[in-house]
Amino acid sequence: MRFLFAFTITLLLSGCYKNESTLTDSLIYCPENTPQSFNPQISHDISTLDATTHQLYNRLVKIDPITKQFIPDLATHWQQNDNKSSYTFFLRKDVNFHQTDYFTPTRFFNADDVIFSFQRMLDKDHPFHSVNRVTDSYFFNHPFTNLVADIIKIDDYTVKFILNKADVTLLANLAAHYGVIHSEQYAQNLLSKGHPERIDFYPIGTGPYKFKNYEIKGITRYLSHPQYWGGRPTITNLIFDVTPNNTKRYAKLLSGECDIMTYPAPSQLNTMSVNPSVVLSSIPTANVALWSFNSVKKPFKQKEIRQALSYAIDQKTIVNAVFFKSATATDTLLAKQSWAYNPRSAELQYTPQLALQMLKENGFDFNNIITILTPIDHSVFNPNSHKTAELIQANLFDIGVSSEIISLPHSELEMRLASGNYDTYLTGIDVHIKDPDSLFRPLLSCDATILEGNSSQWCSPEVQDLLDSTLLEPNFIKRIKNYYQLQDIVQQERPYYPIAHVLRFDAFNQNISGLHVNALTGIDFQNVRKIEAQ
Amino acid sequence: MLNYLFRRLNLLFITAFILSVIAFILTYWSSKNTLADADAGYIIQYVKYMSAILQGEWGLSSIDQQPMLIKGLTAFASTLELCFIAFITANIIAIPLGIFAGLNRNSLLDYLIMTIALIGLALPVFWLAVITTMLPRLLGIPLPIDGGISPVFEIPVVSGFILLDTLLAADTYQLDAFFNRLAHLILPSSVLSLFLITEIIRLTRHSITMVMKSNYVKAAYAKGLSRKEIVFRHVLKNALPPIIHQLRLQLSTIISFAMVIEIVFSLQGSGVWLLSSIKEGDYLALPTAILIISGFILLSSIFIDILLMIISPIKRKSLYVD
Repeated sequence: MRFLFAFTITLLLSGCYKNESTLTDSLIYCPENTPQSFNPQISHDISTLDATTHQLYNRLVKIDPITKQFIPDLATHWQQNDNKSSYTFFLRKDVNFHQTDYFTPTRFFNADDVIFSFQRMLDKDHPFHSVNRVTDSYFFNHPFTNLVADIIKIDDYTVKFILNKADVTLLANLAAHYGVIHSEQYAQNLLSKGHPERIDFYPIGTGPYKFKNYEIKGITRYLSHPQYWGGRPTITNLIFDVTPNNTKRYAKLLSGECDIMTYPAPSQLNTMSVNPSVVLSSIPTANVALWSFNSVKKPFKQKEIRQALSYAIDQKTIVNAVFFKSATATDTLLAKQSWAYNPRSAELQYTPQLALQMLKENGFDFNNIITILTPIDHSVFNPNSHKTAELIQANLFDIGVSSEIISLPHSELEMRLASGNYDTYLTGIDVHIKDPDSLFRPLLSCDATILEGNSSQWCSPEVQDLLDSTLLEPNFIKRIKNYYQLQDIVQQERPYYPIAHVLRFDAFNQNISGLHVNALTGIDFQNVRKIEAQ
Repeated sequence: MLNYLFRRLNLLFITAFILSVIAFILTYWSSKNTLADADAGYIIQYVKYMSAILQGEWGLSSIDQQPMLIKGLTAFASTLELCFIAFITANIIAIPLGIFAGLNRNSLLDYLIMTIALIGLALPVFWLAVITTMLPRLLGIPLPIDGGISPVFEIPVVSGFILLDTLLAADTYQLDAFFNRLAHLILPSSVLSLFLITEIIRLTRHSITMVMKSNYVKAAYAKGLSRKEIVFRHVLKNALPPIIHQLRLQLSTIISFAMVIEIVFSLQGSGVWLLSSIKEGDYLALPTAILIISGFILLSSIFIDILLMIISPIKRKSLYVD
């Protein structure tokens, strides 16, 4: 009796507790991971993009989500010269940078900011070029180094990009997440204070939200930017509350502790889709889950062994059991929606007998235990790496190959990968722009390290040559042909076994509208509206 | 009195010394590459380590360069808050139940209460916590299941006890933040208090039974006092000290259960702090946590001893034993 009484009293007390869903000026977004920094120029993981690209910054141009055309962002319009080797951008006037408690801008956005943002990547002598060791990553300046020769300020609101040679990918690169514009004045301010490293962690941009603070437990707070040139957003407090556990994210969404969540567990998709109070949005991405073979280590040096193992894997079962409906099974690395996709790629066939025969013919040592390295946490490429590894293990066991699964936490995994001591690795890759180069280069280029994506340690002069020449190839038909050829080689050589192309899922409550998610650049809260939940 | 205190403190020093050696070994092991004079002998290093600890220099966290001591204390304060709420709830519920069971021994009521208590004892805390996270959804009660306080509220850390801090921040959020924190504590503290309730019911029942059998209670009956008077005047007073004494032994269990529950509910506290620090490779958190938590348990067990000595005449005898 007393227990019931006490419990009722506490429940009555909790009546004073107001659920977050009643606060229409605050929006809580529950992502899966913490951002690595607040600058998408230097961090390319999806959590960073979600936390920065659309919220804090603007780019010169962006891609219209519906028509897929380039539309103005900070540049109002642009011109290209006749041979497409230079582009002139006319900048928007009266654009305010964020005013925060760590920086107060005294001038509007102008050409200096554009030049600063890109010269940091291009100019090796730039004072910010190597701040925060960003140059350690090959991808920091890669997209622009071969592309842009110089950026010239014509007047305060006109800049000219001069290209090394005619190239059509400039606009796509400017619309990518790393094309964001930083404040030059803020950078100078930091430099004079002697803290240039703060530029990537205390961001100043022109976007609809400004950075407020970040707590180590994974909470990022933003405030709306009152002088935003595109109109002040209706949400005043934007809060990112990192919740790594996907069951809990869903529970929080239902209880109103989260308004929007990202990456629901694939196993929950069915229950979510029938829940009338939750809206589920999905978009296809070019991100692919892979099983990579360490091509410099025996026995995977041999092409036939790699091929044989790929015949032994029952891909359909893996996709059904692990990804449910959150991914589509694939035969190729490149997604079908890409313009460079080769429709005549060889299909992956599940033929264990053939696999066994090939292994025997090529003198595979069946006493050898091969290692399957997996990350211990689920990643954006794979909701359950360990289960995938177990299914692969079972498939391998069927043809008499014994294997060992090694699941490691992130930091130890990186060490193990860097040491090169693994046979196979279950991973994936996320793609930043629509250009196929952004998929193939990290996976297949000799310059890409294991941690950057080349976990097969693949390096062949033929592939490297194709990669490099295609990037600079002005003829579009020739580019497509080159990529067809590249895909044929990859299908033949099989350094990677593609498992599935993943979809990006976001779920939100009925009282949220206006959310836009871009598969490449992240989530966009600019036009989100929230009404009081019933 | 002084003699007694001295004896207790003596024990404290020996235990504290052993703990500090363990903490030192952990610190040494986790940061041996960064120590300035790694060549000096262990004893010199230990002395240096201890003098730094005593001066409050516990090192910096490798994650955010904040002082370890502050981080550890803030986290532990939150754990204590959970324990405290659970303790209060448990006492309110369990002591009356235990008294009923003890007074009506072997009656239907006794069996009922003891069955509940045994079920509570048999349930693993971790499992119960996981099940409890599903309760609000199943029962339709709008209670939060994750985190210590809604991220909408930005509460500056003053005391580390978030309930207090929310009251201090009442200018900004009125009482909303306070109730929000309280709501976040309801489920975790219910789980933690279930273990305590079981424990307290059993202890109270046993203690009451013992006292009821004693001669002075029989004498009181003979004197013609009513049952109610006997219970309130004699039984309760004498049944209390053994309960407190037994609960002292459960202190470390309660704290470690609280840490596990925190992890399930993502409640910021020493459990979550320790786990995330280890995940991030910030191993200095280990010795810090050992020193803070075991230090607290040591000090509070001595405090409870002194308290018992004050309230219980039997214990007071130990004062005069040399």
